[in-house]
Amino acid sequence: MRHSRRYRDEYTAKQIAATFGLVLACLLFLYPMALMAINSFKSDAEMYMNPAGLPRAWTLESYGKIFKYHGGLWWNYVNSVVIAASSTVLAVFLCALAAFAFAKYRFRGRNLIFSLLLATMMVPPEIVIPGLYVLFAKLQWINTLRAQILPTITPVLGLFLIRQYMLDIPDSLLEAARLDGAGHFTVFWRVMVPTSAPILGAFAILHFMSVWNAYTWPVLVATKADVQPIMVILPQLVDPVIGFLPVWGTIMAGCVLSTLPLLIVFVAFQDKFMSSVVIGAVKE
Amino acid sequence: MCDRVIPYLFILPFLISFVALFLGPALYALVLSFFRYAGYGKATWVGLNNYVVMLDYDVFWIEMRNVVFYWIAHAIPMVILAFGLAVLVNSRLVTRKNFFKPIIFIPQVVASVAAALLFQNFFGTKYGILNNLLGTQIPWLTDMDLARWAVVIVLVWRGTGYWFVICLAGLTTISTEIMEAAVVDGASAWQRLTRITIPLMRKTFLFIFVVDAIVTLRLFAEPNVLAGKPGTLAPVEMAPVINLVVENVRNAQFGLAAATGWLLFIAIAVVSWLQFRIFRVRGEER
Repeated sequence: MRHSRRYRDEYTAKQIAATFGLVLACLLFLYPMALMAINSFKSDAEMYMNPAGLPRAWTLESYGKIFKYHGGLWWNYVNSVVIAASSTVLAVFLCALAAFAFAKYRFRGRNLIFSLLLATMMVPPEIVIPGLYVLFAKLQWINTLRAQILPTITPVLGLFLIRQYMLDIPDSLLEAARLDGAGHFTVFWRVMVPTSAPILGAFAILHFMSVWNAYTWPVLVATKADVQPIMVILPQLVDPVIGFLPVWGTIMAGCVLSTLPLLIVFVAFQDKFMSSVVIGAVKE
Repeated sequence: MCDRVIPYLFILPFLISFVALFLGPALYALVLSFFRYAGYGKATWVGLNNYVVMLDYDVFWIEMRNVVFYWIAHAIPMVILAFGLAVLVNSRLVTRKNFFKPIIFIPQVVASVAAALLFQNFFGTKYGILNNLLGTQIPWLTDMDLARWAVVIVLVWRGTGYWFVICLAGLTTISTEIMEAAVVDGASAWQRLTRITIPLMRKTFLFIFVVDAIVTLRLFAEPNVLAGKPGTLAPVEMAPVINLVVENVRNAQFGLAAATGWLLFIAIAVVSWLQFRIFRVRGEER
């Protein structure tokens, strides 16, 4: 009896220690995010006097400024949404179309083309930057939204993931639709797309996030404020009068706004979100 | 007859876009890397000169060294942290798994640029949060030796959750039978961790290190936002290699930019090849 009680005490102690460790880690992970949220409710001026504490005067001034800054930062926000959303729609559609053919048709060159595409996944996307820049400059596409959307619409990873999923969809399902007189595209649109919805959704989240967060290429091709996405303009925000001083309250409000769409999706679909973000890592 | 064309019609939109927007420009960059080209006028053939110039350029090696530093300095603590947290969350000791999991993951939802700005504010010298709390004026971001560690902290903070989820997935594949057998044999929790779990997870660790190496070679946002003044890139002592691609494009030195890109590709190919070799050797061991 005594033995089991001591065992239980020891177990409880361990339990407390483990939970304590986790809570500590969680606080460390949450602290910067809490700072971001709290500081977005301070004015730019207060951020210089009181960067660490709670706001002395809670204010929405910084959020107000975000919408006025540089003639309206909300416009850059719209740019980000337009770029990420249209890229995601195009990428998922193109990948799903091609994945359908690679998964459910037999045709000459199928395996060759597919393996060549897979091989290009090893090539870092940054390699195309000089070539693409010269090309887009010739087309006069520098400082346009399409220059930021188009290079992201053919993610081979998406093609691969969607094809893997479609391979497991039974052929009988397609046959049944064909017997009902459905054409090739109807089979794709009415049968394949709905049945692969889970992977399409998961990949859409992953892709949206990567385009939303993109920085390297947008920094190069979006040098004018009116076509810049929020990520490019946020680090450039300085005091309009003095010039070089960053306006921290406004920047934090911008960071909160840039995080909010992904955060909402994350809170709504936690498990799905986590598995779709790591889905890219288990490609082998 | 007509049916044989159908699959090609399905793959064509993707293929055309892929060739026009990725493969074509990538090969064009390969061609460019052998020329001196300013974006207009005539391109001059210079052979391997762009590569030689780059490999001879001390900045290239400084930035390579920076990237390798970022990789090693952040990957090791990050893997330990991610794995340790995964073990804790996975253990029987912790009851509220679904409470902790999303919180550890959540920094991943913050964009790299936003994360870097957050920490730029945190580590600021004069008006920074940390100096304000400590009552000091430590130049966290202007002393390059300190600033490199600030980059590491951003990478660990934002990246841990991602690998945590992957470690957790790896842990759940370890069969409970092995663990129960070990318990029956009287192995302590520590012994089970070091003798069973860690050896079984070795492949996952290696995978994380390699994938993370490739991601770090392509690093751009974190150091530049953290240490750059508004609208400029980070100083050379802490800049990543991609900066050379970006700067050369900005200066219309497209040949040099392209050569840098392909050198980066070679570096990544070497890392991937090593990964392949190590995995194969380990596969044969079994």
